[in-house]
Amino acid sequence: MNDPAPLPLVPKGDNNLNTDTAVMKKQKKGSKLLKLLRPALGVVVLLYILFRLYQVLIVQHEYGADTWTRLLISGLIIGGVYALIAIGYTLVYGILFMINFAHGEVMMFGAYAALYSFWGFKLINIPGKETNFLNAYPVIAIILAFLIGMTVSATLGYFLEKIAYRPLRKAPRLVPLISAIGASIFLQNAAQLLFSPQLRDVTNPDILRRGVGWTIVINGNDVILPYTGVFTFILSIILLITLFILVQKSKLGRAMRAVALDKKTAALMGVDVDNTISRTFIISGALAGAAGVMWGIHNGLVYYYVGFIPGIKAFTAAVLGGIGNIPGAMVGGLLLGIVESMGPAALGINFQLKDVLSFVILIIVLTFRPSGLLGEVLSEEKV
Amino acid sequence: MKNSIRQSIRTGVTFGIVHIFFILIAFNSMISVLIAKLSGIKNPGEIPAPKFYIAFTLLMGLWIGIAALNKKHSLSVGKKLLLSFTTSLTTGLMAGVLDVLLAIILVNKVFIRDFLTVLSFDFIKATLFGMTPVMGTIVTVLCFVAAGVAGGALTILNRTEAVQKFWKNIISWFKKQIEKIQYLSRGKYHLFWQIGGISLLALVAILLPMQWGSYWNYVFGTVGLYVILGLGLNIIVGLSGQLVLGYIAFFAIGAYTMALLNAPEPHNLMWGFWPALLLGVLLSALSGLLLGLPIMRLRGDYLAIVTLGFGEIIRILLKSDVLTNFTGGPRGIQNIKGPMFFGIPFNSEVDFVYLIFAGVILAGFVYNRLKQSRTGRAWLSIREDETVARATGVDTIKYKLLALAIGAAFAGLAGGIYASRNQFTGPDEHALMASINVLSLIIVGGMGNIPGTILGAFTLKGLPEILREFANFRLLAFGALLVFMMLSRPDGLIPSSRPKYDPPTEPAPEIDKKEATHGK
Repeated sequence: MNDPAPLPLVPKGDNNLNTDTAVMKKQKKGSKLLKLLRPALGVVVLLYILFRLYQVLIVQHEYGADTWTRLLISGLIIGGVYALIAIGYTLVYGILFMINFAHGEVMMFGAYAALYSFWGFKLINIPGKETNFLNAYPVIAIILAFLIGMTVSATLGYFLEKIAYRPLRKAPRLVPLISAIGASIFLQNAAQLLFSPQLRDVTNPDILRRGVGWTIVINGNDVILPYTGVFTFILSIILLITLFILVQKSKLGRAMRAVALDKKTAALMGVDVDNTISRTFIISGALAGAAGVMWGIHNGLVYYYVGFIPGIKAFTAAVLGGIGNIPGAMVGGLLLGIVESMGPAALGINFQLKDVLSFVILIIVLTFRPSGLLGEVLSEEKV
Repeated sequence: MKNSIRQSIRTGVTFGIVHIFFILIAFNSMISVLIAKLSGIKNPGEIPAPKFYIAFTLLMGLWIGIAALNKKHSLSVGKKLLLSFTTSLTTGLMAGVLDVLLAIILVNKVFIRDFLTVLSFDFIKATLFGMTPVMGTIVTVLCFVAAGVAGGALTILNRTEAVQKFWKNIISWFKKQIEKIQYLSRGKYHLFWQIGGISLLALVAILLPMQWGSYWNYVFGTVGLYVILGLGLNIIVGLSGQLVLGYIAFFAIGAYTMALLNAPEPHNLMWGFWPALLLGVLLSALSGLLLGLPIMRLRGDYLAIVTLGFGEIIRILLKSDVLTNFTGGPRGIQNIKGPMFFGIPFNSEVDFVYLIFAGVILAGFVYNRLKQSRTGRAWLSIREDETVARATGVDTIKYKLLALAIGAAFAGLAGGIYASRNQFTGPDEHALMASINVLSLIIVGGMGNIPGTILGAFTLKGLPEILREFANFRLLAFGALLVFMMLSRPDGLIPSSRPKYDPPTEPAPEIDKKEATHGK
């Protein structure tokens, strides 16, 4: 028997071949230009940043060490909250490769839970004493508030996945994203209709009053280290470490990592994929809830739109650190917080532009290192 | 059977939660007002008479009864009725518990509106149908059960053969009519029909704006602008497959170019409408190109988030004090001069509707030609698989940049007309939500085709304008609609058909030739 004719690797006909190579050449030329363009852009950006830093820090010398400390403190605090929310994005993205756009809203419900539980505790009078439950047992009240907030948000995350994302797991990528956007809009407006659109102040227990804290004297000026901020920062670090241990050491964490690597193989190895994804959403929801309660305690203002901007910032942080990468989200969150609060001062630009700064950093990082600061290079299927 | 009952109770609990949510956002009031208006009462006020609340409860019960029998075909009639009974009873009991809680609030005069904003005493009284708390609760449960069983009975009736046959007849009649129309438009006289249809449409488009009055002109103008935006984003997302979330930034560039060149403040340049529009389109395209250059390596979600960042940067810059002297800052720019058309002022409401319609036609024409050209096929190949497209000799970077630039140019066009029509533009009009609206409209309508974009613009921009009644519930319904659409029809209301290739076996008749060249 004759061998079957070999399949032609190149299309027959010289014309065809020629045009193809011509296009290829053009393409090479184009990409060469781009390859040159990127480092050039990088050098320009770097030089500009160095120039501004030199201007502000050495020539103008506008701020003293006390201001820098103040900015660093506020940056670390907000960075901790960003990191907590960013973990939620990263966990979900690592497993489902989708942006959980409604994550900020999950956090917003946590903040509302803090508001209402503190409010409720304040209404409970302790018989025989002049105080209420909130101030008589502040530690219990705070723990309860965190439990309530985390439960509410975790439940929300669970149902969000079950209703809006699970049926779409095999759909093209745009579809779950739109579904998430829809869920985000729905939750925002549900909160607005339920809790009214006005801004609310969270009443903290007396030991955690806002704006009060330890005073450090730097350069002869007082720098306040607020109790709420220290509390928020320490708690977020504790939660982050707990989560890291959970993911690295526990059985659930191993299942989560397995599902993130390869759903089919994980299922073959006896991992319940649906259950693991549900639990991932519960964990990320609980962390977002904790972040929401912290936001309520530290920032104080709660309204239906409160989750949106932190949500986007946290996503930026997650991408910055390398999405799908848990330490990356932590580093990215803290870094973003610090850059946001110190950057405008350091570069001598208007403080209104701090959001511009964080987005510019995002664009720069993605341009030069699309996998993020700590992320591994993702295969094209995942991106 | 036991399983079915357990399942029906679960359905009942779900509906109970939905019902409680509806009451806590005063959705029942809204529906009651609607029912009152439909039954001819002119001014029902915010809280209409209790009988309309009973009507709302009955409607809920009916819905539950129908939903309880969803996907249950093989049971006997009695069992089906039992299922609808258990489901509606579960929901009814949950609603009853809520009623008891509301009654406690009412009796003890607890002021709870700080927590849950809708629960005023009047509202609670109306929710209890204006009866005593005990009676109100009992009536609620009874309403649910009665309507639920009725809904179940209706479903059973609907599934009997006679009724099913009746529906089938009606549907086939409609199909026949549609086929007849299609035959007419495709047959011998198709040119005649097409010209007739187009001229009729043109006549309607010219005459109607004069008759509508300003409200409808405003609504249709907005829809038209969003059609242009949708077509532009369709080129980027639908054809070349790049997810861009900050699309409204290009719109803002078009709008601000128009505003800066045609407003007395802050620069008083007064270039006139047309040069400004052209410049706005060019600047938008250029900014699309500039944004595209550094981020061409990115794909998918990364691209989405970078473009989202770009959109926010533009918005924040416009809003900040830094550029106040140049762009008017947070207050925006007012008193933008309208266009002139050969020396005649062309700036009444009707004129703008014409202008927008012209823009829509232009955008649709360009979009259609591009889609069917070599460029369009290159975009489609990039959308399907970028690596393969590259390997087959498509210059992916060039075509992706082209898509971004052309899509941005569309947005610039829409932005220029928008600013000129409203005589105002400010930073808050260009928020992220607007980008998301445009993306949603092309996805809801059906990605990558013109009828879908138009339908999407009507559903997402036209309907909410028309349904002002629902004011507070509009966005809530919008979010729910997006999720629901993605779950039930992820390809949109009018899905794009993929081009088919049927090799002609014999000399092709006229119709087939046309289909082959038009790619549908």
